[in-house]
Amino acid sequence: MKRTWVGMLVAFIAMFIMLVQNGASADNPKEDVAAAAAEAEVANPAKPAGKVTVQVDKTSLDNGGTITVTGTAPMGMPVYIEVWAEKQVRVSRFDADVDKETGQRPYRLYMTHEMPAYYKMFVPKEQKDKIDAAKKEDSKWSLSKVLKETGAETVYSAPAKIKIDRYQATLLGSIIGSRGTLLDPMDPKENKKRSMQLVKVRFRDVDKVIGANVQMNPDGAFKAEIPIREGLAPGAYKIVAFVDKDTKSDPVTFENKINFPTIYLSNAGTSLNIFLPFFLTLAVACFGVLMGAGGGFLLNPLLVSIWPLPHTIVAGTVIPTVLFSQGSGIYNYSKIKFINWKLGVTIGLSMLAGAFIGPKLTEMITLAQFKFIFGWILLVLAALMFWQTMPAYLEKNKKEQAILREFQRRAKESAAAKVATAT
Amino acid sequence: MIVEFWGHEFKVNVVLGCVGGFIIAVLSSMFGFGGGPFMVPLMSVGLGLPMYVVVGSSLLAIAFNSVMGSLRHLQFGNLDWTLFAIMFPAAIMAGFISPQIAKRVSPIVVKRVAVVGLCLLGLKLLGVY
Repeated sequence: MKRTWVGMLVAFIAMFIMLVQNGASADNPKEDVAAAAAEAEVANPAKPAGKVTVQVDKTSLDNGGTITVTGTAPMGMPVYIEVWAEKQVRVSRFDADVDKETGQRPYRLYMTHEMPAYYKMFVPKEQKDKIDAAKKEDSKWSLSKVLKETGAETVYSAPAKIKIDRYQATLLGSIIGSRGTLLDPMDPKENKKRSMQLVKVRFRDVDKVIGANVQMNPDGAFKAEIPIREGLAPGAYKIVAFVDKDTKSDPVTFENKINFPTIYLSNAGTSLNIFLPFFLTLAVACFGVLMGAGGGFLLNPLLVSIWPLPHTIVAGTVIPTVLFSQGSGIYNYSKIKFINWKLGVTIGLSMLAGAFIGPKLTEMITLAQFKFIFGWILLVLAALMFWQTMPAYLEKNKKEQAILREFQRRAKESAAAKVATAT
Repeated sequence: MIVEFWGHEFKVNVVLGCVGGFIIAVLSSMFGFGGGPFMVPLMSVGLGLPMYVVVGSSLLAIAFNSVMGSLRHLQFGNLDWTLFAIMFPAAIMAGFISPQIAKRVSPIVVKRVAVVGLCLLGLKLLGVY
């Protein structure tokens, strides 16, 4: 009974921390939004020639929705609209692809903490076929290619200037778990190129990064229905319309609000309804304990598939959830002297070394590689479980379990006897 | 290495145990799953130890892995505290609920369902369907 109470207490503390964090993240300056919107409207009636103006039909959304952007641009020029969130997240990409010029693998890690939690480029509706073509390339699509083909390359700007650190990884460095040596900052052109690769890592699909939504009239007026998905970051979002690199509108701001039970995961850059991962974890962990394999095997692939969560975050967050149950398990076994410390610590030290390296490797692989290797691990586990349901194994296991219970009974008796003599 | 457990002595191949444990720890901390289902067969089949020696000691070995894996992920900024705060209570609750369910269902049936489920999920991740 005592254990139940401890468990409940921990659960409540955890819930409390969560609520406090949510409250803090939902607190956003609203005045800025209104001021920026007013500014944009003031700017609009003037309609100076050669300038781009833009306005929005609403300044606030409730966990996604559609915003209608209208504006004017010089006649006959294609209009591109960039929308991004002010909240930023971390993205990393390990570059081990063969360099076309030198023929060598660079083994460099690119990492930024300034990737907008939401970014999307909207291009004229006429460019839809180019985006569809990129979609057909499946996971091999390239953002720089799509931007070039749709003519949006020169106006791609919000993520272009983010600060990207690059590390030169070495084999030895990776083994001891170091990111490698930090290299000099990149020039703006290189930074832009690398930022496009990071945008792809972050948002995964063509659809999420680029859309053909801008409807243009011959007189230079344009209109775009901009869909903002559910589950995005809360806070201020900026909209800027471009006709080319230097001709652009002033930024217009709107705010995306989220309310409990939807909360924002600041490290993962995603908002979600807390009850969904809660019940998913509960169901998967229950099943995991029943099948004797822990929940991580099922939970991790589901988390990366259902939500746009980075695999590094998923792996790093699922591991510590088992610490409590492992700790109490060890405590219970040690009470009845059911642990051989020499054996456990010897193998444990080799596992300690392995676990030092593993988390470093997580950020060196892509989501696709993560899924591929995880797929094989699950198949091996399935084979292992299948073997454990074979008659020969069951027969042997029956005897083993009987001996195990006998030993546990004796161990408990001896522990109880010791307590009795001590008191 | 000779291991003594409740009056019985067992000869253990330390090299196999440590190399196997190391590989399992790398994969387990890299992908974020528990190493139990691989450690138990390694120690029972690979090292030839009886189940009553394996249950407690494998748990101790895996705890080393979990603690170090958690710390390193924390160091690399991979831990999302909000998501952790959602999942942690659920994981603890599962520890109390599943023994109640375990009394009512046959472990063989659970394992067979798990085999099918793991195959489906594995093939899905490999992009077979």
